[in-house]
Amino acid sequence: MAERLVKPIPDRDTVAYWQALADGKMVVTHCRDCGHWTWPPRPICSGCHGDNLALDEVKGTGTVYSWIVVHRSTTPDMMQYVPYTLALVRLDEQADIYIPGRFISDMDVRRGMKVRVRPERITDQLGDLAWTTEGMPA
Amino acid sequence: MSGNGNRFPRGQAAIVGIGCTEFSKNSGVSTFALATRAIRAAVADAGLGIGEIDGFCTYGTADSVSPNLLAQAFGIQSLNYYVDQYLGGSVSMSVIGQATLAVSAGIADCVVCYRAINGRSEIRKNGAGAGPARAPWDIQFKMPSGYMVPAQEMAMNARAHMLRYGTTSEDLGRIAVLSRTNALDNERAMMRKPITLDDYMASEWIAEPFHKLDCCLETDGAVAVVIVNAERARDLPHRPVLIQGAAWGGGISIANNGFDELAESPARPIAERLFNAAGMGAEDIDFAEFYDCFTYPVLSQIEGYGFCKAGEVPDMLKDGAFDRAGGKLPINTHGGLLSEGYIHGMNHVYEAVQQIRGDAAHRQVKKHDVALVTGQLGYVSGYSSATILRGA
Repeated sequence: MAERLVKPIPDRDTVAYWQALADGKMVVTHCRDCGHWTWPPRPICSGCHGDNLALDEVKGTGTVYSWIVVHRSTTPDMMQYVPYTLALVRLDEQADIYIPGRFISDMDVRRGMKVRVRPERITDQLGDLAWTTEGMPA
Repeated sequence: MSGNGNRFPRGQAAIVGIGCTEFSKNSGVSTFALATRAIRAAVADAGLGIGEIDGFCTYGTADSVSPNLLAQAFGIQSLNYYVDQYLGGSVSMSVIGQATLAVSAGIADCVVCYRAINGRSEIRKNGAGAGPARAPWDIQFKMPSGYMVPAQEMAMNARAHMLRYGTTSEDLGRIAVLSRTNALDNERAMMRKPITLDDYMASEWIAEPFHKLDCCLETDGAVAVVIVNAERARDLPHRPVLIQGAAWGGGISIANNGFDELAESPARPIAERLFNAAGMGAEDIDFAEFYDCFTYPVLSQIEGYGFCKAGEVPDMLKDGAFDRAGGKLPINTHGGLLSEGYIHGMNHVYEAVQQIRGDAAHRQVKKHDVALVTGQLGYVSGYSSATILRGA
């Protein structure tokens, strides 16, 4: 279990999203009517503006779009990781969804690199995600 | 058609007074005290009395004194107008626009816009001291990974620009050096030691590709400006600085579904509406004070406001196009947030007014009738704002 001082603050729109990551699954809001994926988990479909929504598990794969290397941590619990790479990843399900997360790999990060999600359990109810490459431990 | 800026009350209100405190690392006083000092100075500069104030507009992240407390302190029985706008640099010029609407509609006669901040010695948004209750909703999807401050978000976008256009660290460094150079002879500026491109390249990484010198300052201080209708402004001591146009609204962030190119300037939509509001175009701007929380947003705004095509800023920087003395478009003539201080963008208005009046002394730009002053370009919160000021 990852030690974190800075945790998500779940609300009625996001509690199930964080619970899923705690349970090792990545879910994204999915419209039952139009099929559009919406991230972050809003209470409305950003495709058709309906609310016939479900949190569906996604493949958890995507490609690196941009990245930074954080040398100055802004939270005490991330200091242990400095310098760490944060990748902005385009989800395979839908190209206009960019999800940031720590990049964990023995390879150098580059644009277009295939990555997959690595859910991280923070508490029984809260998870987070990191991005990793093939061959890295799950 | 309404909604595209055309119906903005163009030039119907004016900035007639400006005031500020010292910009420092530790003011030693409250934001309440800072605000009152800047407001007193601004009202005196306008040749008006405190009793004539009937509106206050401010913004912040629950880190400053609010309009009602100032009304009580100044003995104002009932404000005719106020705005206490949540958030920071993205909404910094919206208060100028709001005050213009109020004054031109006759809802208020004398509105003071102010920002008072102890950004260095007290609290700052997104810092460890800020409570989660005030954190914007979308922050929760970034902060567990340690992706939570604007430096990181802007750096992510800068990387996208580098990948698409070949922009380099040196290009961003030239913006840092330009800002510092402009601050050297500014008596208000916090940073008055020269820097070179080598200094920039040697400065420590914060969030690669951002060095320390890509990042603005944290400052204690306050700025206030007084806005009245244009007719009344003619009878006051200084050259009226008309609010020719203003625009504020939604920008673009990674949370906008349907947006798919982070290298593109998110300032484009606000720029289009601002120019509609002002009845002007980029070619009419004499100088610009761009919101420069970091170097890269300056580059992105030069593109987004249409001063060049995407990817052309680096060569223009090398050619001195943005230099205060002799540049085609002098920018951040006071040193900006990078080198003057971080009063959340309100210090840009102060400088623009001084320049338009012709009161900027050794910093004075040659052509100084029309200024573009911008707020944060829209990446972080998705909001943006900007104004065009014109000397009467």
